[in-house]
Amino acid sequence: MTQMTVLEALGAAMAHEMARDSDVVILGEDVGTAGGIFRTTQGLQQRFGPDRVIDTPLDEKGIAAHAVGMALYGLRPIAEIQFSGFIHDAFEQLMFGATKYRWMTGGQYSVPMVIRAPSFGGINGGFWHSQSPEAYYCHGGGMKIVVPSTPQDAYGLLLAAIRDPDPTLVLEPVPLYRTLRGEVNDDGEAIGIGEAAIVRPGNDLTALSYGPMCHDVLAVAEQMAENPGYDIEVIDLRSLMPFDVDAITASVQRTGRLVVVHEAPLSLGFGAELAATVQERAFGYLHCPIGRVAAPDLPYGFSGGDEYYRPNKARIAAAIRRAMEFDF
Amino acid sequence: MVNGPSTPSAPTVFLGQPRPVVAPLLERAADLAIAQVLDADGVPNGNLAEPDLSQAQLRTMYETMALVRVIDEKGWQLQRSGRLEFWIPSRGQEAAHVASALAMDAADWIFLADREPGAMLLRGASLQSLFAQFFGRAGEPLKGRRLPLLLGDRALNIIPCMTQVGAYLPHAAGAAWAAKLKGDKTRFIVYFGDGATSRGEFHSAMNFAGIHRPPIVFFCQNNGWAVSTPTDRQTAADSFAEKGDAYKVRNLRVDGNDPLAVFAATKEALACTDEQGATLIEAVTYRLGFHTSSDNPDLYRQPEEVAAWERWDPLPRMRKYLQACGYWDERAEAQMQQRCEDEVREAVTAAEAMAPSEPAAMFDDVFAEPTWQLREQRERLLAELETELETGA
Repeated sequence: MTQMTVLEALGAAMAHEMARDSDVVILGEDVGTAGGIFRTTQGLQQRFGPDRVIDTPLDEKGIAAHAVGMALYGLRPIAEIQFSGFIHDAFEQLMFGATKYRWMTGGQYSVPMVIRAPSFGGINGGFWHSQSPEAYYCHGGGMKIVVPSTPQDAYGLLLAAIRDPDPTLVLEPVPLYRTLRGEVNDDGEAIGIGEAAIVRPGNDLTALSYGPMCHDVLAVAEQMAENPGYDIEVIDLRSLMPFDVDAITASVQRTGRLVVVHEAPLSLGFGAELAATVQERAFGYLHCPIGRVAAPDLPYGFSGGDEYYRPNKARIAAAIRRAMEFDF
Repeated sequence: MVNGPSTPSAPTVFLGQPRPVVAPLLERAADLAIAQVLDADGVPNGNLAEPDLSQAQLRTMYETMALVRVIDEKGWQLQRSGRLEFWIPSRGQEAAHVASALAMDAADWIFLADREPGAMLLRGASLQSLFAQFFGRAGEPLKGRRLPLLLGDRALNIIPCMTQVGAYLPHAAGAAWAAKLKGDKTRFIVYFGDGATSRGEFHSAMNFAGIHRPPIVFFCQNNGWAVSTPTDRQTAADSFAEKGDAYKVRNLRVDGNDPLAVFAATKEALACTDEQGATLIEAVTYRLGFHTSSDNPDLYRQPEEVAAWERWDPLPRMRKYLQACGYWDERAEAQMQQRCEDEVREAVTAAEAMAPSEPAAMFDDVFAEPTWQLREQRERLLAELETELETGA
């Protein structure tokens, strides 16, 4: 066990896999000499050489597309996009290239690549540097998506993504990169894609989230636990595609209440999929409508306005209270 | 029915501003630095030396081109009679892809565009498997998941194209770089058209290739038209090849209707991969037929232009060359035509009789292991099919 920040855990996972498997390569803007704009890949180019840690031109589409080609030939490329706000230049390459080769060749070819995309807001970085793009990439088939929210999950999920035989998008929690430190068991153990974590067991309501918001949800749950009847179960989804439907269903069937929290915009956000899935499987167990706490359908925040845009603890608490107090 | 207006018929009705007729660039090959071995009549013109090819190789080259023409005519008929959903003609572009593919080794990787069935034939694909791909049958290598004529087979080291024109160029460059990194000797060729050079991925791939020098031939078939968009609306550059200059990618123009020149240029490009990495070849050719079976070129191009290019048709040109070498005669021609037509007819019959995919098979190969969502959705479809069977609905 080692104390690590989220950034260090991500770097440790890449170093571990690069040492273990010579097919693993990294490509992206500034990933080599500079060690990445967040320093996630620092030291890796010195250790593994410029052929395996490749500084690319400023071209997100090209980064994704060349990674697809490398994967087709048998490498396991890790493509870094500097911020998920810039990833959409690669959208076609990811959603109609990387994720379709296996299908369109009847299983003859596969694209075992990873796309790392620093995501989420709360850093007052403005629109482009604060994006939650998960909904776009969950749609249409072929992409797996993981969202770590702790150093251990960052380590284990990135390992799983690198080893996965299909394209996997890792949405990394920028606001936690350096602020969150924790014990990491860095012995090369991956965390299964599609496995949620029950962060706080509880009996009265299920609060579901992913990424940095998990920490806000947990804090609210701890605060509210002083009130009788507010024993809240907090689940960190960790994987969005596929998501852990069994864990969620079992929890909601027990608690009878669900609030979903994410910082992506509300309409057609991932919470909509979760709400629809849960009502299909646990309709008779529900004591109240499924609550959603999300950002408004706006461009991300305005200068200094992250706290009004993102779901905050007060909004999360209000949604939980509405669910608990709901009366048919 | 010929899949293109080989003779002027009804007066052309344009739906927009008519485009001026452009004389074949091949008429000015020397001035335009278009490498050429043969003149329009198949006579070596001293522009470029004849490549060192055996009689057997020359015959393979020609016979493959001729077979591609027969396949193309059959495909067109099948589409027009409603037996095939779609067709992408290759008429006029046989030399460009057959001669370049012939220059590659069997272990080399080919990324196809959509008018290169000859590459599959040269790698040993049977006619039946080719038509099974056209018909999208379950038993074809790609399980019928493609548009007709988007061909490929891993067993042949041929990758089918992502349908977005040119979007796959960096896939080929990335794969080539991966081979270099692994220390393999595999080389790569990627086919695309003139329109693809306007895509961002062309820039991405050229830029990458200039920097990293992967062992690859970027083979641009400039057939004059991207659907209805002619060259002067696609680029203001003097050629598509010169676009390589800005990226420091070796580049050249070659007469794409001259199989000997194409073969020589491709061989030379492959010989350069160790030192120079990539080469961008612009093969100047012409689409004698329709863009696809959904197109009607009478609406945008003039019959005189097509007629002028018929004179540069690669098939008679190569045939005359072979005849002059003493490798071919009318009897060989008649026998080959008959054989091609017989074999194609048999292949069509056999491929058409193959089973289509089972509906539930569409759930395979999205991921290595299906997600719970896909498993559930598949079960739902199977239940629907079961109900249909029971109720006859």
